[in-house]
Amino acid sequence: MVIIQTTARARRVGDRPKRRRRLGRTSPAAYLAAILVAGLTALPLLFVIIDGFRSTPDINSKPVGWPSPWRLGNYSGILGDQQFWRFLGNSAQIAVVSTALAVGFGAMAAFALSRYRFAGREALYGFFVLGLLLPPAVAALPLRLWMSRLHMLDNIYGLGVAEAAFALPVTIVILRPFMAAVPVELEDAAVIDGAGRLGFFWRILLPLSTPALATVGVLAFVTSWNSYLLPLLVFDQPEHFTLPLGVATFQSQYSQDTAKVMAFTALSIAPAVLFLIFAERRIVDGLTGAVKG
Amino acid sequence: MSTPRITSSRGRVRIRMELGFLLGPATLLFAGFVLAPIGIAIYYSLYSWGGYGPLTDFVGLKNYTDALSGSVFKQAVEHNVLLVALSLLIQLPLAVWIAMLLNRRMRGRALIRVVVFAPYLLSEATAAIIWALMLSKGSFVDQALKAVGLSGQIHGWLADPDIVFYTLFVVITWKYIGFGIILMLAGLQAVPAELREAAAIDGASPWQIMRSVVLPLLGPTIRIWIFLSVIGSLQLFDLVWIMTLGGPAHASTTMVTYMIDHGYKSNEYGYGSAVSVIVFALCFAFALLYQRFVLRRDLDGALTNAVR
Amino acid sequence: MRIRTTRYLGLTAAVATVLTAAACGSGSGGGSKPAAADSTAPATITWWHNGTADPVLSLWQQTADAYHTAHPNVTIKPDPIQNEQFQTKVPLALQGNNPPTLYQQWGGGGEKSQLSSGKVLDLTSAVSSWIGDIGQAATRWQVDGKQYGIPYEQHVVGFWYRKDLFAKAGITTPPTTMDDLNADVAKLKAAGIAPIAIGSKDRWPDAFWWEYFAVRECSVDTLKSQISALKLTDPCFKKAGDDLGTFMATKPFQDSFLGTPAQQGAGSSAGLLANGQAAMELQGDWEGGVMKSLSTDSQLSTKTGWFPFPTVPGGQGDPKAVLGGGDGFSCTKGAPPACADFLKYIDSPEVQTKIASQGVGLPVNPAAASALTDPTLQAVFQYDQQASYVQTYFDIAMPTNVGQALDSAVADFFAGKGSPQSILDSVSSTAGGSNK
Repeated sequence: MVIIQTTARARRVGDRPKRRRRLGRTSPAAYLAAILVAGLTALPLLFVIIDGFRSTPDINSKPVGWPSPWRLGNYSGILGDQQFWRFLGNSAQIAVVSTALAVGFGAMAAFALSRYRFAGREALYGFFVLGLLLPPAVAALPLRLWMSRLHMLDNIYGLGVAEAAFALPVTIVILRPFMAAVPVELEDAAVIDGAGRLGFFWRILLPLSTPALATVGVLAFVTSWNSYLLPLLVFDQPEHFTLPLGVATFQSQYSQDTAKVMAFTALSIAPAVLFLIFAERRIVDGLTGAVKG
Repeated sequence: MSTPRITSSRGRVRIRMELGFLLGPATLLFAGFVLAPIGIAIYYSLYSWGGYGPLTDFVGLKNYTDALSGSVFKQAVEHNVLLVALSLLIQLPLAVWIAMLLNRRMRGRALIRVVVFAPYLLSEATAAIIWALMLSKGSFVDQALKAVGLSGQIHGWLADPDIVFYTLFVVITWKYIGFGIILMLAGLQAVPAELREAAAIDGASPWQIMRSVVLPLLGPTIRIWIFLSVIGSLQLFDLVWIMTLGGPAHASTTMVTYMIDHGYKSNEYGYGSAVSVIVFALCFAFALLYQRFVLRRDLDGALTNAVR
Repeated sequence: MRIRTTRYLGLTAAVATVLTAAACGSGSGGGSKPAAADSTAPATITWWHNGTADPVLSLWQQTADAYHTAHPNVTIKPDPIQNEQFQTKVPLALQGNNPPTLYQQWGGGGEKSQLSSGKVLDLTSAVSSWIGDIGQAATRWQVDGKQYGIPYEQHVVGFWYRKDLFAKAGITTPPTTMDDLNADVAKLKAAGIAPIAIGSKDRWPDAFWWEYFAVRECSVDTLKSQISALKLTDPCFKKAGDDLGTFMATKPFQDSFLGTPAQQGAGSSAGLLANGQAAMELQGDWEGGVMKSLSTDSQLSTKTGWFPFPTVPGGQGDPKAVLGGGDGFSCTKGAPPACADFLKYIDSPEVQTKIASQGVGLPVNPAAASALTDPTLQAVFQYDQQASYVQTYFDIAMPTNVGQALDSAVADFFAGKGSPQSILDSVSSTAGGSNK
């Protein structure tokens, strides 16, 4: 409801060919400021990564310092521990299920909500928007009771389905204006060619929507990957734990071994950072696409 | 916007089937896992229920009146409102400023963008654990202050009731500002460099360019950010819960930590449900008002654009 | 629900080795102990316990295996669950159709609330033949004279202190009265040592202080009757708050104590004590294990000692009354007879000895007392045995919502908000149905 208008409006501007010229040379002050910002942001991450190379007695006696010597033991120990890989695998499976369902069903619904005219359309849209206002923390306990009735507890796919439901609102809110902005002529042409509306959706609209689909996919994936409270309540068995649960569990189980906790935490950052390095362009472009069409 | 032409009753049936196919799965999923819990929460909120056995102790709206008149819940609401205000006053300008900075051409820009965005991709649990370690007494933050000669500024970051909330605000800013920056960067693509150049040639100062050219064009993006930021601020939970449990003495309690603490942790499920319904209602009221008063302008533009 | 019970679990590798050795020992000769009850019908017992780390994790696995060896028809599946998660998971499980057969149970008001689910099994007749062996401890798991849970270890709260720091401050004997304690706090401060560590972030350590003052100020009869009635109207409870306020005015705690966790990491209150950065802490008997896990000092156990909460001048309380609690298990309805029989096995000298010798906790079966190897724990156990009365932690003795409100009000008092009266008001208003 919020994003539509902006999108449609900004899109007009964005349709112009991009031509960016230099406003002059970037000053050293700007470089300095940028580096400072990046440095301050990165500091906590570096702190954790570097402490992962130290030993616990060393950290306890000197809270801040360089590793001497650099120890690989904490990291190699965790990488050799199948628990870590199980957490990682669970997180990945849940995120994939949740993303696939949210993007698939969300795109179908957004198509219907943007390019069909039917009674109750805006009401139905408003109904999905409600979901944006409901934090999972608020719904978590009733949801657990409900999932227990559906026999979906301790099932990683069950959690994936529930998380997909929570990712739907944002998906639909971003996709609908995007799809609405695709010119009518394209659809008419497709219908005349005998492709039908669903054919148009599948063959033309979805490929055209790739940037927006990437954005909502990234958002759904990240939300699922990071979610903490829902898995906490839905999983009883540690073998189903996700990475964030694993970090918290590991932290309380090994809290005497600060260095190992640091290493575990650092390794749990790694997937997010790797993901970002590969997908940075996609994310920025996708968000650009989502916001300005 | 296109309207499938309805030519026959067969066509109408067909459209219905298509709509059913397209909307059915999403509606089912959403109703089954998002709306059902809201309904269940509303139902529980009318009972005094300790989590065991059937719901028998119907108390009507007592849970709601208790929450709304309780001093701790009021404190929690104040914290959420303060968080909204601080976000608008500090995070917003900071996000715009950093986005402008990173919109320039510079060496290593991609890397800097990745770094700035990274905290947003971390899980709250991980971020909270990292900061709790850094902020503990004598740890990184204290040592860093000492190293730059500010040892007088060392505080009990998470222990002093007067400071803990601001400490958390710094962590929240660190965690979420990346999203604002990326959003603003995307919005800045809509501000053509020519416009700024032209203004500069006309003798406008950087501040004037900012105020008269950049900000108006960033308007839509800023309004979205405000919406998302307010909703996020009202629903803040994980970071606070892991770092302070809402303490000391409720100095960092938010509405949702209050709900978990005084509702679920005390086995007062009916009460907790009432608090969650209140949080939901507040978010809903904000969304309606915001839509009505702030986004109306955007709405007009959207309609005219969409119709073309 | 007890954060406090989780963290005494982490022990060093050395202990783990001993434990493995013990396991081998019990594997060959063991398993014969539990009497062959009604074990002809095949049965599976799912068992939720909070032993997510060694030595408890391995101990429970071995206990389950040993029982299975002796009763091949009974399979016991231990399911370790994070301690903090019991708070949400037990209510939800008892609400659902498939609750675990056997689950962690702390007794008191929490157990009483669970009865309203109708899913908790009455064990009274099943355990009547042997429950006398474990003495008074079992009464905390009784509701209206019926036994709904069985303890396997008990807890006692008292002062853990550093002998080396006491010596450094010129303190020769541990304090026995409040005046002594105040004098010692002054001496420690003069020597530049933080006198007392406390983990106020977690709130329940704050409550220990107020509760112990109440135990010293109030007579045993008053404690018994007013706590179960949830009406703390006797002036002695107000005096407990006054005493605490007076004591806090001497600023005996470490810097930034309001943000300090109790048991997590070297910066926790247990970590401060373990690393010699504070001289004493009011904590449960598990403190020794927690400290061991937070320190690399192999000589740590020789440097620490224990003394009971000092007497309070003019108090009506019995100076030999202690504050404590315990851990136990409950069976759910529909559980096979083997469930109660397995609890009997857990409380038998065989398993109890391991609980004592592996540093898991204080046994409930006195027959296992001699297996306590740590001299400090032996002293704690002796003191507990001679106690005239064991007051359960108030927040466990009371229904969960009242107990949480009390903890929260005491924590506010520690942070300088509220008064001795507001602590009492939190109990009466929550018990009266208010949620504010």
